[in-house]
Amino acid sequence: MIRYPAIPLLAALVALIISLPSCSVQPCYEETDPMMNTLLLVSGTGETAKADSLRVYTYRAADTLKFVDARGTSFFSVPLDAANDESAFIITLNGVTDTAVIWYNRHPHLVSPECGYTLVSDITGLMTTHHIIDTLIIDNNNVNLNGETNLHLFY
Amino acid sequence: MAKRTCIFFISLLLLGSPAVLSQDTVTVPLHVRAGFDLSGPVMKLTGRDLTSYGVLASADINSSLAVTAGIRYSSFSASEVIYDFRSRGLSFTAGTDYNFIKANVSQGKYYAGIGLRYGLSFYSEEASMIRYTNEWGAGESSIPAGRHTGHFLEITPGVRTELFRGVTIGWNLYMRLLISAGAGKDLKPVWMPGYGAGTSGMTTGAEYYISFSIPYKKIKVYVKPKTRQSDEDEEGETEGEGREQTSTGNVSGTSRFPGRL
Repeated sequence: MIRYPAIPLLAALVALIISLPSCSVQPCYEETDPMMNTLLLVSGTGETAKADSLRVYTYRAADTLKFVDARGTSFFSVPLDAANDESAFIITLNGVTDTAVIWYNRHPHLVSPECGYTLVSDITGLMTTHHIIDTLIIDNNNVNLNGETNLHLFY
Repeated sequence: MAKRTCIFFISLLLLGSPAVLSQDTVTVPLHVRAGFDLSGPVMKLTGRDLTSYGVLASADINSSLAVTAGIRYSSFSASEVIYDFRSRGLSFTAGTDYNFIKANVSQGKYYAGIGLRYGLSFYSEEASMIRYTNEWGAGESSIPAGRHTGHFLEITPGVRTELFRGVTIGWNLYMRLLISAGAGKDLKPVWMPGYGAGTSGMTTGAEYYISFSIPYKKIKVYVKPKTRQSDEDEEGETEGEGREQTSTGNVSGTSRFPGRL
């Protein structure tokens, strides 16, 4: 009796095992909020700066949204307004306040069938006051789910 | 007939093939085949969001190799809390199937092998509603309909047997590897027709085909002669050997247990 390798049987088992999870509804475990990440740097030297205090918020018609309230930080992340092509942020750094406005283009991005879509952005421009902020520059204009640094804030 | 078919399928999976007759050449018919996938309509009956109808054609090149091509129409819609998505399109596959069963056993009727195919999917997708939420608040947007072309590879182990003259049934498992969804990194389709979930680099599943086949040519295939004889002869030999062993056993018993004599 000649015995052939049981390749079809093995393939069937492997495929069934692989396809079993697809039979059930999967919850969303992935990050779905793109954040604009900003690194604080010392103006002139370009070294990483640690702010004694940092608050980032925005005023809206009805309320104030607080995004960041931290001490001893050199990095902050804020979401962009997904309903508009610009977001304004009030940045209070070591007790001194500046205003930064970010302009961007939004486009949908599929996170996964389970998590659905989110809106990612490409920063097209920015403007800032200069009470404590020396320079605010775009390092990477893609605000997505990768967690890359987008802005360098020199003060 | 059905019993024979079941026996064949089981024997393919678990045991292999029956004993091979000793001969130098066998005549094997080559077929052209056309069939349709039963799993798509069955899945549709179970109420899934997917509609999928596929036909497959193949032509034997020789006793173990066949060229194959398929076309599939798929339509998918999903209405979730966070999005409404719809895609539909035609996909085409082309490639080869390799039959592991030797010609003198398969006789042009049986197949247990593996196929490798290249797939193209021409599809449209749209999301009439997408809902998002972040610290700024919640909102809705949409993605207008767009046409794209996706590429994928398909590996399909499977079996097939002749149900009765001119009609074969069989199933294929498939493992599809995504080359490109053709819609960019942001708008990968929730479901790419002919492939599956566009966010996944690999999809798996099964198809069940019923096919109609027509022999178009007969070829002679050289079969390496077997030195072994048929089962009947083997049994006869076994009995003979058994007798011999009995007598030999006495002899060996003599040699193994010399002290008892």
